[in-house]
Amino acid sequence: MSTLYRLPSEVLEETFKHLRECGRGHEECQVLWVSPWDKPEVITRVVHPKHAAHGGGFVLDDQWLNDFWMELGDTNSGIRVQVHTHPAEAFHSKTDDDYPIIHKPGFLSLVIPNFGLGPVGFDDAYLTEIQPDGRWRKVTIPSRLVVA
Amino acid sequence: MSEHDTKHQARTDPQRVRVHIDEHRYESPNPNTGAALYVLAKIHQDHQLFREVEGDREDEPIGFTGNEIRLREDEHFHSADAEHAALFTVEVLYDGVKKPFVVRPNETVKQLLDQAIKAFGPLPNPHMLSLYLAGKELPDAETLKQAGVKPNDVLLLRPSTVKGGV
Repeated sequence: MSTLYRLPSEVLEETFKHLRECGRGHEECQVLWVSPWDKPEVITRVVHPKHAAHGGGFVLDDQWLNDFWMELGDTNSGIRVQVHTHPAEAFHSKTDDDYPIIHKPGFLSLVIPNFGLGPVGFDDAYLTEIQPDGRWRKVTIPSRLVVA
Repeated sequence: MSEHDTKHQARTDPQRVRVHIDEHRYESPNPNTGAALYVLAKIHQDHQLFREVEGDREDEPIGFTGNEIRLREDEHFHSADAEHAALFTVEVLYDGVKKPFVVRPNETVKQLLDQAIKAFGPLPNPHMLSLYLAGKELPDAETLKQAGVKPNDVLLLRPSTVKGGV
């Protein structure tokens, strides 16, 4: 069961702002796209998690994750897409496969190349989706995301 | 409004009923929520509220939640603290969604974890998920009592680690 998410252009621009400012061209960075449960198909905000990062990876802060989990409950919202950068080519690594923030089928992971320093958009980006058997499968970006 | 008038209203207004909580009489909107019944009778959230049932069945735990409860006139409820509740309710939160679970103090964290994963499922790779309370990951082998889980606690179902990298 796949969803076509509507992504406001402001959310996409804010996403790249976080990825560039946080990663500064030499560290990976992650953001999360969130929407309310009563209208899940419309992404309403981008969340920039507290995390530790280096040139080849990142890990989310444990206490931040607890606080954010509670906030999602308080705001009746869910995480639809995790977005992170790679230093060069965009793909899904073994670490990316094994440690996502959400484990449900249909959850999406978007990888942006070159630390997000390229044009705002999906050029050379890589989108993958959790399947019912838990494996990730590459999907085309227009089949899951439309920028409104 | 006199006491007589209040009682009369309770009997004739189908949207209000008289209930008994810890042997005190209250008037409640009907339907109501579990959380509202706790507030009505000033029951602390560390305690567990039960709806009394007839026969050999165990009394029904009522959680401190917004879930709707349909009441009957003159129904009886009682509360108990965690030490004395054979059953109690907790909520588990995953990706912004809360679900209630009725548990026993002597069941293990792993048993509740398995129930939660099933309820929120399908969740492939369930071995990546754990239960958290008050910022700490709960050890699978401990009982809920040993882990300090109390009635109406909200536990987080979340991955132990979230990371990425090339």
